[in-house]
Amino acid sequence: MTEKVVTPEGDVAPDTPWVTIVWNDPVNLMSYVTFVLQQHYGYGRAKAEKLMMQVHTEGRAVVANGPREAMEADTEALHGYGLWATFQKDS
Amino acid sequence: MARGFRRAGRGGQRRYVATLDAGERELVATLMGQVADLLAPPDPAGATGATGQSPTEPGAGRLDDGFDAIVAGMGLARAPGDAGADAPTGDAATDDAPARDPALDRLLPSGHREDDGAATEFRRLTEGGLRHRKAAALTASVAVLREAGDTVGLDEGQAVAFVTALTDVRLVLGERLGLRTDEDLDRLEELVERLDDDEPVVYLLALYDFLTWLQETLASALMRR
Repeated sequence: MTEKVVTPEGDVAPDTPWVTIVWNDPVNLMSYVTFVLQQHYGYGRAKAEKLMMQVHTEGRAVVANGPREAMEADTEALHGYGLWATFQKDS
Repeated sequence: MARGFRRAGRGGQRRYVATLDAGERELVATLMGQVADLLAPPDPAGATGATGQSPTEPGAGRLDDGFDAIVAGMGLARAPGDAGADAPTGDAATDDAPARDPALDRLLPSGHREDDGAATEFRRLTEGGLRHRKAAALTASVAVLREAGDTVGLDEGQAVAFVTALTDVRLVLGERLGLRTDEDLDRLEELVERLDDDEPVVYLLALYDFLTWLQETLASALMRR
């Protein structure tokens, strides 16, 4: 199966996947972050909690990767839940 | 005595039920209404007759009694320093917002930390929709609270809107309390122990703690096994 990739202008490395990052913040509850990761991504409890703990202990976690457009949509959705999310090119 | 959210029923009949008295319901509804007001897009230039009323839920942002005036006096609905000693009463909105309220940056954070251009473009594309959806969840939750008796029952969709609305209120309260790191809350709790109960920050922190507790019960009830 092939997929047509639309390369954003100025993107010199179209094959580099983009990532969505959730950052730690002092307000969002561990239980709530776990719930949001379940709700938005459909992640199981174990995966959602593992990512939540990574946010909590390391200050950030990559919660998804893929094309830029999908990561922007993720970021918008996570902002809708009040999480501190960003998208960026994977490095 | 308040009792937090717990699950009731199964499958499509599942409900999330809490026990909140009239004062607690009105408190949470007032705070949610104020945050909905905060999210209303800035008035276009030349608009007149701005009031503190929520655009989507008449009465949601109204400050009707002494209790609400205390909340308003602590500045939940406006930027610190925006209202001076001559702060008007009964009007949660200012006619001319000079600078972006820092609480809006918590509600609508940057989408990209390194590329200002990408961040600006992302904000341009998403901010209007996010403001609208957040305000809709807040005003829907206000409506539920204003219609409920002491038993507040939510269906799945209402519960997701409610837990999200509680987040947005806590983000604004957290900003007003200066919570930027995990350590800030510990520091603030130590500080508050040394202060008199009538200090505004003591009351504000008690509000924050109440909302934290309520949200914790709902988020835990919503989490899937």
